[in-house]
Amino acid sequence: MDKTLDLIAWLVIIFLIGPLVVIIGGSFTETPYVAFPPTGFTLDWYYQLAHRIDFLHSFVLSLALAVSCSLVAMLIGVSAALGLHRYALKGSSLYKTFLMSPLVLPTVVTGVALLQFYYLIRLDTSLLGLLAAHVLITVPYVLRTVGAGLVGLDPAIEEAAASLGSGELRTLLRVTLPAIAPSIMAAVIFVFITSFDQTTVSIFLADVDLKPLPVLIFNYIDLAVDPMIAAVSTLLIIFAFGIIALLQRLLGLDKAMGVG
Amino acid sequence: MGVGVLSLSQQTRARKSVGPRWRFLAYLAPASVFYIIFLLVPYGLILEMSFFSYSSTKLYLPGFTLQNYVDVLTDTFYVALIARSIGLGILVTAVCIVLGFPLALKIARSGPTMKSALIAVTLSPLLINLVVRSYAWIVLLGDTGVVNNWLKAIGLIDAPLPLSGNTFSVVVGLVHISLPLMTLSLIGVLERIDKSLVDAAESLGASRARVLWKVILPLTVPGIAAGSLLVFSLVVSAFVTPVLLGGSRVSTISTVIYEKFTSSVNWPVGATLVMVLLVINFAVMAIHARVFKDQ
Repeated sequence: MDKTLDLIAWLVIIFLIGPLVVIIGGSFTETPYVAFPPTGFTLDWYYQLAHRIDFLHSFVLSLALAVSCSLVAMLIGVSAALGLHRYALKGSSLYKTFLMSPLVLPTVVTGVALLQFYYLIRLDTSLLGLLAAHVLITVPYVLRTVGAGLVGLDPAIEEAAASLGSGELRTLLRVTLPAIAPSIMAAVIFVFITSFDQTTVSIFLADVDLKPLPVLIFNYIDLAVDPMIAAVSTLLIIFAFGIIALLQRLLGLDKAMGVG
Repeated sequence: MGVGVLSLSQQTRARKSVGPRWRFLAYLAPASVFYIIFLLVPYGLILEMSFFSYSSTKLYLPGFTLQNYVDVLTDTFYVALIARSIGLGILVTAVCIVLGFPLALKIARSGPTMKSALIAVTLSPLLINLVVRSYAWIVLLGDTGVVNNWLKAIGLIDAPLPLSGNTFSVVVGLVHISLPLMTLSLIGVLERIDKSLVDAAESLGASRARVLWKVILPLTVPGIAAGSLLVFSLVVSAFVTPVLLGGSRVSTISTVIYEKFTSSVNWPVGATLVMVLLVINFAVMAIHARVFKDQ
């Protein structure tokens, strides 16, 4: 009984990480298709990728989107988290549910709603449209992470600052925000990852000239599944684990992911 | 909006701040304005679109009709589509329970080091982009894919098995995405199970299998319920995985919504399907709120 369960558990683990291993291994294959174990060893697919200007453009676009999304989402989200935390008014919790809603609404619906909205208001720059969509989807992460940080904050330190004559803005900038810096850091990383990784909404809002990396890969797969995509996938996997390693170093993974 | 009933600690904390309500509004103003423009208005316009009628020349004709809803809820194509999407959600959820339980049990019973390692492994697929994960399954399950090549090499099959571009590959891809979430939810409840209950059952002569079936499993139900609702709502509105792994043969509500707004343009019907998807999601949330009322 226990042995059977154990065996199933190991098979499930193989099922979970097997595909990632196949992709990474397959990106070094000499065959024109992804073979696993790879046949021979070559970096050709990485060289090919390095010469694809469209992939480079998309990567830069995704980075720029993720960085600007982090800035805007933090401004909106931290401000709202502070407001909700400090002023427990009637309706606050309902309002918080409203602000958290992009997290539970299907992303495909948000994508299509924004697609139609941009069309109707004749929004021409899809860069702005993409940015707004990414911000909408990431603000809830800021509220949750920074909100949790504020709950853990001892109100006495703010009161001490105030009683020593510090004004509200000064207290905010010199006392409150530094005290919740770890939560803010975690929120920035969450927002960055979520934006960089965002696919569904971006598929609806991207246009020919502006394709974030996941959208470009999505379109490319429709045409071909050659090992070059395995190469770009491998780089993305390394990128993701790099960010998680950073998160781990800065905060401890268990705390950051809320498990353990 | 007046000052609500506050707990004592909140009162002392908020004492200075409750006065000028405009400050509260100032903090929330950026979020409010942003959400009105990019959430409320677009969702409102989609709702409105579902009451417009289709026009082949002008995208849509403004007005008010319930015809789209009548069509979607009576036309056999749409009814089958909705049923299939819900069925897909139930199937994937069931598979996730069956596969997630042994894994969660193993993780919950492991020592600290092994536990961290296994949790990291379980969560690692979550870090990988949806498109990349779908691509991995295309590579594995395609007609000339890794799995078929292996089976051919060891002589089990002559012709490739139809593993891709069908419901099977979509289910595999969706399970791969949902399983970490289900497992997490199960680990949570398994760890909270009182060890003495298991000891008591064993000392009274229950076999390991019986303890698992009669003691552990019933105590896991809240975790199974929470995980199932989460997985179901994700799967029923999944888009990227069905498109990439289902090819043209598998359609779900989400993929048809996409078609209605892009290739086969019919915004009013697309908007109506959006409402159907939202209703399904709200129903799941309502069940969640009811089941977990006390927590």
